Amino acid sequence: MKKRGIGFASIFYGTGYGNGFPDISNAIAELGKDGMVTIYAGATEVGQGAKTILSQIAAEVLGVSEKEINLICEDTSITPDAGTAAASRQTYNTGNAIKIAAENLKEEMIAIAIEKLGLNSSVGLAVKDGSIFLKIYPEKGISFKEIASLVEEKRLRRAGNFTAQTTRMDEDTGQGAPYWPYTFSAYGVEVEVDILTGTVEVLRSVCAQDTGRTINPKLVEGQIDGGFAMGLGYAIYEDLNIQEGKIKNNRLTNYLIPTALDMPEVKKILIEDPESTGPYGAKGIGEPVTIAAAPAILNAIYNAIGIRMKEIPVTPEKLIKALRKKEMEA
Amino acid sequence: MKLEIVGENVIRVDGLAKVTGKATYPQDLYVDDMVFGKTLRSKKPHAFVKLDISKAEEISGVIKILTYQDVPNNHHGVLFKDHQVFCSKKVRSIGDSLAFVIATSEKAAEKAVAAIEVTYEEIEGVFDPIEAMKEKAPKVHDDGNILYHYKLRKGDAENAFEKCDVVVEGEYKTSMVDHAFLQPEAGLAYKEGDTIVVCAATQYPHFDQLEIAEALQLPLEKIKVINTAVGGAFGGREDITMQIHLALAVKVTGKPVKTVYSRQESFEAHSKRHPMIMYYKTGADNNGKLMAMEAKIIGDTGAYASWAINVLRKAGVHATGPYEISNVKVDSYAVYTNNPFAGAMRGFGAVQVPIGHEQQMDMLAEKLEIDPITFRLMNCFKVGSRTATGQVLEESIPLQKCIEEVAKAMDFEQKLEGAV
Amino acid sequence: MKRIQLKVNGKVYEVDIEEDMRLLDVLRDKLHLTGTKEGCGEGECGACTIIMDETTVNACMVMAFQGEGKEIITIEGVKGDHDLHPIQRAFLEEGAVQCGFCTPGMVLSAKALLDQNPSPTRKEIREGISGNLCRCTGYNQIVNAIEKASQYLRGEETKE
Repeated sequence: MKKRGIGFASIFYGTGYGNGFPDISNAIAELGKDGMVTIYAGATEVGQGAKTILSQIAAEVLGVSEKEINLICEDTSITPDAGTAAASRQTYNTGNAIKIAAENLKEEMIAIAIEKLGLNSSVGLAVKDGSIFLKIYPEKGISFKEIASLVEEKRLRRAGNFTAQTTRMDEDTGQGAPYWPYTFSAYGVEVEVDILTGTVEVLRSVCAQDTGRTINPKLVEGQIDGGFAMGLGYAIYEDLNIQEGKIKNNRLTNYLIPTALDMPEVKKILIEDPESTGPYGAKGIGEPVTIAAAPAILNAIYNAIGIRMKEIPVTPEKLIKALRKKEMEA
Repeated sequence: MKLEIVGENVIRVDGLAKVTGKATYPQDLYVDDMVFGKTLRSKKPHAFVKLDISKAEEISGVIKILTYQDVPNNHHGVLFKDHQVFCSKKVRSIGDSLAFVIATSEKAAEKAVAAIEVTYEEIEGVFDPIEAMKEKAPKVHDDGNILYHYKLRKGDAENAFEKCDVVVEGEYKTSMVDHAFLQPEAGLAYKEGDTIVVCAATQYPHFDQLEIAEALQLPLEKIKVINTAVGGAFGGREDITMQIHLALAVKVTGKPVKTVYSRQESFEAHSKRHPMIMYYKTGADNNGKLMAMEAKIIGDTGAYASWAINVLRKAGVHATGPYEISNVKVDSYAVYTNNPFAGAMRGFGAVQVPIGHEQQMDMLAEKLEIDPITFRLMNCFKVGSRTATGQVLEESIPLQKCIEEVAKAMDFEQKLEGAV
Repeated sequence: MKRIQLKVNGKVYEVDIEEDMRLLDVLRDKLHLTGTKEGCGEGECGACTIIMDETTVNACMVMAFQGEGKEIITIEGVKGDHDLHPIQRAFLEEGAVQCGFCTPGMVLSAKALLDQNPSPTRKEIREGISGNLCRCTGYNQIVNAIEKASQYLRGEETKE
């Protein structure tokens, strides 16, 4: 017999290393002789989309397509330290560092353009599609490539760095501002519990995710799906089963992670409410997207069968045991 | 401000290489004359250990077997340097590195690993964090097993509970889980002039560079880390695995050295998510206002600190959930055991606590006969709220909207009426 | 040592193998077709999925000599009229790629599915890739991509 239930959970998540530890990202923006922009920042692409998001931020500043941005993050000998790809900090921290580096480069390029074009100021200048020109008289313009040919390379290599602001908490009371910014998220799920086999199936899910400002909707949605899958595994499947220090489930045949058949469709709602200290208002979402999934599932299980499952994962064995206990008590 | 590129569904810049199979992960690197490395790992969770490598060294194809004696500075770790590159005297968990065999083929390396004679003198271990907190528990490191205690105090929780109309309590437990990224760890290292180049998949190449340089006692600029395509991480590539082994192997042999972990070895080699035991007590008044919360959170960090302090700190700070509560008392502890070490994993302490606080919220809502959505909306953070640590939430706090949008999309109110 | 002949992506290779070599080892170590990935070594994750005589197999579970006389397709052999196969194009457009380690196997499972069933339902797509684990995407954008690819392959315009 199967019983359905719905559940809800909401969470907050503080970005970054936290607690006053210097959380620094460094980046360099460079205009090459070929008129192409290269960004150097040691921020890892782990699959979350950092290279794309960070390229988009640089492209936005410099008025070019992201295809004209070459983002190099893979080599410690040529990239500055941009901190770790963790704590949902790359969009916020390194995004800010790259934005500042690109703005510094742009400022330099504009100064060169003013000089070369014989203008009196930067008023009314547009930086777009690989050139700098006067909006009211576009013939007065100069391409990135030309700019690069006019000055020594060093002048068109500009750094940017960003240090997030947090404070160290009081040791006795824990008072302080340990993380900044906070990102918010909520999940709703509907589950079906088979009370004979003890299995739980999630039928559908809805996520509303605060992004500050969305840099790339499809990438955020991909994070939400993946985050939900990880929360689903956490809630009902995954356990390394440690016995006397030994991992019993040490292969993918017994350490079960969700498959395509286990995943429900997830409706995603992106909530934008820009954070003024974020690059274009953006906040990190890589971790927040996974957090509320598991508790929402647990609340839905309660809604379906009236049992609070306080130990995860809620495996069929645990669920059957809990159902039997409830029957005995009734 | 109108934006052109920000907000667009730009196609992933690393996508083309990945859909065509051209993206290069460290296991995909092959160079001429490369040799292979294989790690010997502890099979016991807590023991004094002695190695005899003499028979293994005789195996055909073996070039060198690295042990603690070969490491100039035998320590590493993201926060505390409590990991040894190779254990010198004592193993603290199953999977601890003991030696690294370098051989002309993978098979020879495997054979030699099996031929190393390991003598374990077992010590009583501790596997339950609550036991580990007791005075007389076996010590995993020289100092006590309680690595960290975070205290959060706001208002007067004890007094406030007396004034609550409803109070709920619960004990919650989460399991130790793995990142299970699809790409098992692998790496290739080689010499480029007098620089050692380590190609690996890591979350933080500059920190790896620093840890390698410190362990080998080489200037930072003599180490270069190339971060290849990374096959998922989720926190599991924060701590060093084979990077120092490979760099040292290159330094000692001068040859390019490659190593690839099997899935089973990957499970043994990297960090885990901290399992937590969480005691929660939450109270509200009859109007549905949250009044007080108390939580005690114990996180098992296994044999090494890794990010435990930061994880249990984050758990403590996030223990209230996103709700305004005037009286809060939280104690969170990071505790050493002889379990596999726990470190960073997506959510980092903030994933465990909602298993408690979100069920507490529903339990309170049920007692108060308020639906769980309305109850959350009555108490949730908004602009101007202060968190339990006293932090002012000044802007960009759209939690209310998140809650409302999900409720609307799920038809929550309608569905809840027909429920249990 | 033993010499075998393998036909991979339409090209015939003569390779010397050790008797206990898996097809996966030959593809990667001998032919350097490294798009085929190893994620578990026991047929559970599907990262080494290839197509052998029109059926998907895990290359880690097939001995090298068993590949003789078979038509083998790896990710390096998946191409379209304009370089990218419609499945690959759809994967890019739909955001079906994150870390990318499961992607080659996923693309081959999708190809085998669509070769046999040009109009699969979403449920059938999920079944078709149920042997391929992905830890990043939660699969939904992969399902979207395969659905879109099926439309491309049927010559239909897709809704945007």
